Amino acid sequence: MTFHRVGVEVDETRAVAIRASRWRRLRPGDWVVRLGAIAVVLGVWELFGPTLNKLILRPPSDIFRAFFELVANGELQDAMGQSFRELFGGLAVALAVGLVLGVASGRWRFVYNAIDPLVSALYSVPSVALVPLIAVAFKSVGDPPRIATVALFAVFPILINTQQGVRNVDRQLMEVARSFNTSERRLWTDVILPSATPYVLAGVRLAIGRGLIGMIVAEFFIGLVGLGYLIISYENVFRIDRMFVPVIVVATMGILMMGFVQWLEGRIAPWLKREQ
Amino acid sequence: MTAAPVRISVEHATKRFALGAVTVFEGLDLAVRDGETLCILGPSGCGKTTLLRCMHGLARIDDGRVVIDGAEVHSPSRKVAMVFQHFGLMPWKRVRENVAYGLELAGLPKATIQERVARYIDMVGLRGFEHSYPNQLSGGMQQRAGLARALAVEPDILLMDEPFGSLDALTREILQDELLRIYQLAPRTMVFITHSIEEAIAMGDRILVLSARPARVRELFQVDISRPRTVQSVIAHPRFIPLREHCWRLLREHAA
Repeated sequence: MTFHRVGVEVDETRAVAIRASRWRRLRPGDWVVRLGAIAVVLGVWELFGPTLNKLILRPPSDIFRAFFELVANGELQDAMGQSFRELFGGLAVALAVGLVLGVASGRWRFVYNAIDPLVSALYSVPSVALVPLIAVAFKSVGDPPRIATVALFAVFPILINTQQGVRNVDRQLMEVARSFNTSERRLWTDVILPSATPYVLAGVRLAIGRGLIGMIVAEFFIGLVGLGYLIISYENVFRIDRMFVPVIVVATMGILMMGFVQWLEGRIAPWLKREQ
Repeated sequence: MTAAPVRISVEHATKRFALGAVTVFEGLDLAVRDGETLCILGPSGCGKTTLLRCMHGLARIDDGRVVIDGAEVHSPSRKVAMVFQHFGLMPWKRVRENVAYGLELAGLPKATIQERVARYIDMVGLRGFEHSYPNQLSGGMQQRAGLARALAVEPDILLMDEPFGSLDALTREILQDELLRIYQLAPRTMVFITHSIEEAIAMGDRILVLSARPARVRELFQVDISRPRTVQSVIAHPRFIPLREHCWRLLREHAA
């Protein structure tokens, strides 16, 4: 028996070690592939783009130059300040509304029944179609209508994912909690919220992408400001190299913010890293 | 042993599912005495787990009553702790936090919690894994943590719901031996659900054999094998084969 026990313990330790090496998210090799893929796309673009259409497919080196021009005259910083104010404001509103409604509708049948048809309806309508309505509702004055647009674009993935996370809580763990005489408050902190966390974070990741779209759409439709304004105005004068600068800024913002959420997930939900 | 007072009594208990269409058990009577391990053995799906959940107050019986130490059971009591077949560990809590769970809910002082967590993690052989998350552990180690969590609240009564049912044969036997050792260290009243005849004989002081649904008490008998036991010593005991055959006959009559 002693012999068996030692054998099994060693085996178990090894199994843990093997799994540990697989958990690490990105290995150096992964980075080579990721950066290499970007380099290949840029290289092909640089070499062959201008041969296809000189006017529209300006090479990355031109865009790179345009980037410094826009930084030098301060246009880009101004536009980014404006746009990110809308983006973060809208995402904050979406997060607050999405979390509250998601948790409430996931937990209480009444709330779920009350909001589910509306959520489904609003989520099915292309959000773009509602932007003029927002413009009118806010009388097109200042940032609030654009913030509301970002919030409209971003709120549904957060709301729906939070709701699913709360609804999908493991019944067996709920029973364990009851077995140990949990209080309602501890039920939330020990079971419901942690189990909903990965759903919420996946929702936030989706919301970032949709929020960036909402930001540009709002700037096209309501007032022409920020990065959206840069895109439209340089497109109108066929400065495609400059037009691409805000586009790339938006893309980079998406990468950075999603990376941040992933990092955040590792911080607030460290147990997830160890799956798979 | 026969003089020991009754801790848990189930009296004429009836449980139905699906709006009364399925009777899980009907008019069931049983008594668990102080300090004994009562194994409840029955074919799959006969309602053993439901019976245990009713004994804990996690499920309601439709008729009859469950009494623990003279008080009727309506909801889980802190006197009782349960070990689950599915382990029931919180994936977001480390081993140490999982073991501390019941103690925190009981509102014990921090120092007591720390001391008990360390002691019971030691007892189940998980030292060195305090900071692991459950999914970093094998099934056997996860159930060690589940056992430590239940033991740590130092319950008067331990309810075991097929705790080793999902483990491989080797790990199961190791954990059975661990549990026998821990029980012999500090005997406590235990109800142990299983569908394994060998496990019932190894763990139980008495065995209650249930029939297929609707579950009825087929027979209740003493396991006349003295403690301290190990799984191997039980299997080698001359009473083992006759007991196993007896159980087999009782189960097979109703397995069809």
